Amino acid sequence: MATNDALIEQLRTLVGAPAVTADLDFSRGITAEVRVTLAQLWPALEACRDAGYFLETITGLDFVDTNELVYQVNRYEPRCRIALRLLCGKDQKVPTVSDIFSSALWQEREVWEFFGIRFTDHPDLKPLLLPEDTDFHPLQKDFGKVHAYRRRDEIYG
Amino acid sequence: MDEQLLEPVRENIYQLNLGPQHPSTHGVLRVLLKLDGEYIVEAEPVIGYGHRGHEKMGENHTYLQFMPNTSRMDYLSGLIYNHGYCLAVEKMCGIEVPERARYIRVICAELNRISSHLLWFGTYVMDLGGFTPFLYCFDDREQILDLLDGVSGSRLTYSYCRFGGVNRDVDDAFVAGARRFIARLRSRWVDYHNLVTKNVIFIHRVRDVGIIDRDLALRFGVTGPNLRAAGVAYDLRKIEPYEVYDRFDFEVPIGGKGDAQDRYHVRLAEMEQSCRIIEQAIEALPAGRFRNEYRYQHVTPPKGDYYLGFESARGATGYYLVSDGSRYPYRCHIRVPSFGNLQVLTEVLKGTMVADAISILGSVDLVIPEIDR
Amino acid sequence: MTETVVAAAGSGWLRIIIGLIVVLLFSQLNALFLVWLERKVAGHIQLRPGPMEVGPHGILQTIADGIKLVGKELITPRSADRILFVIAPVLVFMPVLVAFLVLPFDQHLIIRDMNVGLLLIFAFSTFSVLAILLGGWASNNKYALLGAIRSVAQNVAYEIPLLLSVMSVVLMTHSFRFSEIVAAQHRFWFIFLQPVAGLIFFIAATAETNRAPFDIPEAESELIAGFHTEYSGMRFGLFFLAEYTNMFIVSAVAASLFFGGWQGPFGFSLGLPGLVWFLIKVYILLFVLMWFRWTFPRVRFDQLMNFSWKVMIPLSLANLLVTAVVVKLI
Repeated sequence: MATNDALIEQLRTLVGAPAVTADLDFSRGITAEVRVTLAQLWPALEACRDAGYFLETITGLDFVDTNELVYQVNRYEPRCRIALRLLCGKDQKVPTVSDIFSSALWQEREVWEFFGIRFTDHPDLKPLLLPEDTDFHPLQKDFGKVHAYRRRDEIYG
Repeated sequence: MDEQLLEPVRENIYQLNLGPQHPSTHGVLRVLLKLDGEYIVEAEPVIGYGHRGHEKMGENHTYLQFMPNTSRMDYLSGLIYNHGYCLAVEKMCGIEVPERARYIRVICAELNRISSHLLWFGTYVMDLGGFTPFLYCFDDREQILDLLDGVSGSRLTYSYCRFGGVNRDVDDAFVAGARRFIARLRSRWVDYHNLVTKNVIFIHRVRDVGIIDRDLALRFGVTGPNLRAAGVAYDLRKIEPYEVYDRFDFEVPIGGKGDAQDRYHVRLAEMEQSCRIIEQAIEALPAGRFRNEYRYQHVTPPKGDYYLGFESARGATGYYLVSDGSRYPYRCHIRVPSFGNLQVLTEVLKGTMVADAISILGSVDLVIPEIDR
Repeated sequence: MTETVVAAAGSGWLRIIIGLIVVLLFSQLNALFLVWLERKVAGHIQLRPGPMEVGPHGILQTIADGIKLVGKELITPRSADRILFVIAPVLVFMPVLVAFLVLPFDQHLIIRDMNVGLLLIFAFSTFSVLAILLGGWASNNKYALLGAIRSVAQNVAYEIPLLLSVMSVVLMTHSFRFSEIVAAQHRFWFIFLQPVAGLIFFIAATAETNRAPFDIPEAESELIAGFHTEYSGMRFGLFFLAEYTNMFIVSAVAASLFFGGWQGPFGFSLGLPGLVWFLIKVYILLFVLMWFRWTFPRVRFDQLMNFSWKVMIPLSLANLLVTAVVVKLI
């Protein structure tokens, strides 16, 4: 667990202690949750890469008031899954992280086509799974059949 | 003008559409190849032909209704996907699962893993031009499908797990059948090794082909047997033991270089490890309920999110579920291993020959519908 | 009995015409039979029965398939070179028929026992490569073109060891005439005297006929169907029949050159007529070819080339040299 703490400590100094929630008993499937701002995203992910982590997945979330991106990084051994949560406004552009993790090239394309979140400096931002001329973003909550469209604080308090 | 003439214009580069209807792309994958003669200059996988919008469907179905979808993403290890999904929802809701059900799930998931690896083995050798092992493997795989068909009523899209247990109990015939299958599979190794592993042509086709080393894997998030072939013992069954995997004695086979030969050996060794897990699980299979008395129809997990990672036949898979406290998930994201495993090929395929591209594509064991979701 | 038949046929034009009719009939029936045999062999190697429905043990299956192929629409791709596209399948079958003219089925059962019989066969078998190239080129399909290119490169590479291995036999018999080569093996088959040449010939012949593990021109997992990707109906059928007839021819040549042709082992005919001995040998060799196909994976293109240029050709040259020296000394 010593190395666990090393990166988490580093992130604490990077983004400020209150933004980091460590959960070492894994009750939500992640070891630590880190809230980052747009400016902190790059340094935080670079720190993760330098510590030998890989980008597990990027998930978009669509709320009434905001979009949210969840970058999950993980490493081979021992387990330490860190979720970096980035709140981004509806029209805000997010810097690409494909220079840090090559796997982000496709994952960001996927987020773009599903949520309409633009990534700046992405070398090839076109739809990945949908046809290339798609002009809608199906996982946005105002597309198609939707059960609930909530504000972020309704779920996360 | 003169300079232009002297400049070696790379006019001899042409594009070749490998797929989407090609015998070796296993599903509807299209790879746009830029070729110089038979050598690949650039390879761009084009995916999405099998996109069904599972993530959107997840938001529009209740937690239980989404269950059948899970086995339709990776149709070769559907039961493992069911299993992971059940675990995720159970963890969210705090549902206890009877011991017997947990063992049954492990047995079936491992059988499913073997069947997936067997199919990979057969189709891989077929990609390399050897047709016969394919039918041998299908013969063996058929035994598993029959077994799983017997308990779940389905051959590929099982939907066997339920929140708080499994759909149906296993009987003695199933246990005996599983034992018989393992004995049969073990007796087949000799044939497989004589026919394929020791074949000099096969060895020349896979050795040093498509090397995915640790660094490359790290950059692209490659997981599963492809990563283990590079010498990294990363298996979520060991690292983040879910269900009852921590009670079994099994090894995580690893390779060295990360070439196609290593991937081949890792998968073969994994089948043997799965056999060991099944044997131990059968030995320790407790009596009792196979399912909670309460049938969970509409679960309403508490608000918040949950990520559950599990090891499918192709690597680290995960469900990221966000609940808003209602019967429908607010967001249902699936991390699929083939995503990274395919993306890394943009790097690996450069500079190889068309024949090697087929060998590499086959060796990473892609299931395209899983990527397309 | 064969003598009387052959004598009645005379030795002039009549003999050629009768021979041609017999050859046409035989080559077609033989190809049909071989397709069935291949499927049966494949089936039994793969733990399944193979075709069983049409006729006893599916013996009529290929006839049914042939009728289906004849009935199918002949599709010509719009951008194809029409003339060459149509000619290619005809061209691929033509040299196959010529080769039958000089094959020694029995001591007297040769349509034309030419003094350059061996050369004629190799000259014409090279011709089929041209047809494959034409077909692949005319299809205007990248897979077909790749297959055609592979086919030409492969045939050029394997023609050399093939001919070199044959030359060492010719050095021993001082003849290109089939009847004399076979007669020279009255006591000892040349496979015992020239094992290296025999092996090289058989490997090169497998490559010449584009059979697995050297079937890279039509490698179905890489190039869909290689040079005949765009062909349908009986045009595809002709390529298919030509492949099986080619197999028969290389096996027949191998049987004549290295396995004593119509003669029994060590001069014992065991009461069997020469024709039977010949066919037994040919079909055993054919079976081995099929066995190869259903056992081995495919080699890669560059490995195939390396194997020819770096192993087979030096080896066959060395073998030729040793043969020349030994023949000179004796």
